[in-house]
Amino acid sequence: MASPAALDTTIAVVTPENIAFDYQLAGPFRRLPAYIIDCGVRWGLVVLAVIGLSLAGLLTNFAVLTNYFVAIGFILYFLISWFYGTILETYFNGRTVGKWACGIRAIDTEGRPISGKRAMLRNLLRIADMAPPVSISSFFVDAPTLLYVPTGMVAVLSMILTRRMQRLGDLAAGTMVIVDERGWHLPVAKVDDPRVPALASYFPGDYRVSRSMAKTLAIYAERRHYLTPARRREIARHLSGPLIDRFEFRSDIDPDLLLYALYYQVFLSDSSEEEQDLGPLAGFSPLRRDQNKPQGLAGTAAKQAAPVAPITESSRTGPVSTNTGGLPDSTALGQAVASPRHSQQKSNQQTQNIGKDSLPTTPGKDLP
Amino acid sequence: MNVAKLLEKRRVQWSELERLCDAMEMRGRTEKSGLKHHRGAEGIARFSTLYRAACADLALADAYQLPPGTVTYLHRLVARSHNQLYRANKFEPQSWSTILFEVAPQQIFADPCARIATIIFFGLFSLSMFLGMNEDMFPGFADRMVGSEMLSQLEESYSQPLNADSEHYVAAAGWYIQHNTGIGLRCFAYGILLIPCLLTLAFNAVSLGTMFGYMARPDVVGGDNFFEFVTAHGPFELTAIALAAAAGLRLGIGVFYTAGLTRRDSIRANAMKAVPIMAASVMLFILAAITEGFISPSPLPYVVKAIWSVLSSGLISFYFVVLGFPRDVLKVTPGPETGDQPNAA
Repeated sequence: MASPAALDTTIAVVTPENIAFDYQLAGPFRRLPAYIIDCGVRWGLVVLAVIGLSLAGLLTNFAVLTNYFVAIGFILYFLISWFYGTILETYFNGRTVGKWACGIRAIDTEGRPISGKRAMLRNLLRIADMAPPVSISSFFVDAPTLLYVPTGMVAVLSMILTRRMQRLGDLAAGTMVIVDERGWHLPVAKVDDPRVPALASYFPGDYRVSRSMAKTLAIYAERRHYLTPARRREIARHLSGPLIDRFEFRSDIDPDLLLYALYYQVFLSDSSEEEQDLGPLAGFSPLRRDQNKPQGLAGTAAKQAAPVAPITESSRTGPVSTNTGGLPDSTALGQAVASPRHSQQKSNQQTQNIGKDSLPTTPGKDLP
Repeated sequence: MNVAKLLEKRRVQWSELERLCDAMEMRGRTEKSGLKHHRGAEGIARFSTLYRAACADLALADAYQLPPGTVTYLHRLVARSHNQLYRANKFEPQSWSTILFEVAPQQIFADPCARIATIIFFGLFSLSMFLGMNEDMFPGFADRMVGSEMLSQLEESYSQPLNADSEHYVAAAGWYIQHNTGIGLRCFAYGILLIPCLLTLAFNAVSLGTMFGYMARPDVVGGDNFFEFVTAHGPFELTAIALAAAAGLRLGIGVFYTAGLTRRDSIRANAMKAVPIMAASVMLFILAAITEGFISPSPLPYVVKAIWSVLSSGLISFYFVVLGFPRDVLKVTPGPETGDQPNAA
C-alpha cells in the first residue's frame, strides 16, 4: 500500500526558512466556478469598454477620432480576451477575480510565486485545455452552425492524470493551483464533563503518551461529537482494552470516557496543577482493586442511596453490569456524555443521572 | 504540557498574522490592516517576525504534540503568509527587448521546429498556389478547397483599385491586430496537442495558397489589385503564421521527444523555449497588422508598397540570420528559467 500522504491532495513545500508545510491542491470542482466567474468578468469588461468607447465617441463628436476609438476597442478586446488572466495573475499574486472569489491561487510547482512568463503560458494554453469544442448544432438542429462550446475534456483528463491536478497549461508553465483560504478556526475540543478530570486523576503518574497516541487521541476527541455513543464505544474499545490493563482499571469502564479522559490529561490539564475538586465523584475509584470496596458518591448523593459508578459502561454493552440489579436501563451513558454541559449544571443529587443506566443502582447497599 | 493554554497564547500572534495577510492580499501593503504599528517598514518587520514565529510553531508542532486540527491550521497559515511574503514577479519590460532581439532569433535559428513549420507552411502554400492557379490541369481544386462563394466574394472585393478611405486605416489596423494575432495565438496554444496546431497551419497554408493561386489566374478580375494589396504585409504575416506554428510545435514536441528529461520537465523546458518564439511571432503579427491597416489598402503607388515589402523581407532575414546566428562560445545564452527567481516582498 502506498503511503497515506499520497492519498491526500496536498503538496509539501520547503520554504527558504527551512519549514516544510502542506498546500492543499484545488481540483476541478473548485476551479470551474472560478473559471466561470472569470468568463463573466471578462465579458463584463468587454461590454464596459464598448459602452465607454461609444460614449466617448458620441461625446467627442469628431469623425476622425471615431476610428481611433474603434481601433482602441479592437485592441482592448484582443488584450482582454487573451491576456486577462496573465495580467491579473501577475499583478495580484497568482489570483484572478474568480480565483479570489473561490479562494484559490496559482503558484509555481516548487511553491514559489508565479512569474509573468509562467502566468502568460498557462493562460495562453487555456484554449488547448478547453478543447475539443463541440458544435451545438450537432445536438440541436435549430442552433446556429458556428456556435461552438468548449468542453474542457483535455483539462479534466490532464488534471485526473497528474499528481498536482495540473491542466496542460499548468504542466507547460510549471504551475499548480492551490487552496488559499482565510478564516480557519482553531479546533480545540473543550472538555466540560465532570467525570473526565475525575477519571484522569487516576491515571498512573508514570504513564507517558507516545506521539502517535497523542495524535490519535486528538483526532478521536475532535471526531467523537459526530458519532453515536455506541459507535464511540466500539471505536474506543480498540485502545481502551490495553489501557485498562495497563492502568489496572476495572474492566467495565466506559471506553469512550477513558479515551476522552486521556485526551484531557494529555492536552488540557496542567500536570503541576493541584488536586482537582472532584465534587460528587470524589469517592469513586475506577481501579480494579477497589472494585469490591464500597464506593459511591460523597455527600448528599448518599441520600439517594445510589452507589453510582458513573464511569462504567452501559449495562447493555456487556455482562458486567448484570452483577447488580437496580434501575431499568433507560438511557445510554453516551447520552450523558454527549450533553455534558447539561449534566454539569445539575446538582449533586442529580449527578448519578450521568450514569444512571451505566451503573444500575443498588438501593441500600453501601452507604458510608 | 497544557496545549490549550499554549494555543491561547500563540493564537493572538496567529490572528495578527492573519490580519496582516488580509491586508496584504491586494498589493502587498501592510497599511490596510489599520493598526498603528503595521505601517510601512514597521509593518513589514512585524509581518516577517510573525511569519517566522508561525514557521517555528509549525516546526515544533510535533514536539508540542499539537492536535492535528491545529497543525492543519498552521499549515494553512504558513502557506498563506508564504504567498504574501514571496509575491509574484511582475513583468520586466526591460527584459523584453532582450527576449525579442537576442533570445528569440537565436532560438529560432537553432530550432528544427521552426524549419519544419516553415517548410510545411510555405510548401503547402506554394503547392496549393500552383494547384489553384492551373485550372486546366487541376480543374475544380480552388472551388473545392476554398469554396466558390468565397472565391467570388474575393474577386468582387478586389475588383476596384485600392483606394481605401484613410479614416478607416486605424480601425482596420486594430481589427487585424485582434483577429490575426488571435489566430496565431490559437495555433500556438493548440501546439501542445500537436495535431490541431498542424491542422491550423495546414489549413491556413492551403486556403491562403489557393486564394493566391486563384487570384493569379489571368482570367480573374482584380488580380492586380489583390497582389498590390498583399505585397506590403505579406512577408510579415506569412512568416508570423509559420513562427506561431513553430512555437506550437516546440510545445508539442516536448511531450514526445524528452531528450532524457522526465516528461513533465521536458514539457516545461520546451514551453519555456517556445515563449520567445511566440513573442517574435506576435511582434510580426502586429507589424503585419499595422502594415495591412495603413499601407496595403492605401492608394500609394505600387513602388512604395514593393519597397516596403522588400524592406520588411530584408528586416526579417536580418533578424533571423544575423541576429540569430549562433554566437555560442563567447556568449552564454540565458537559460529558459531566467527571471523566475522570487524576490521577497
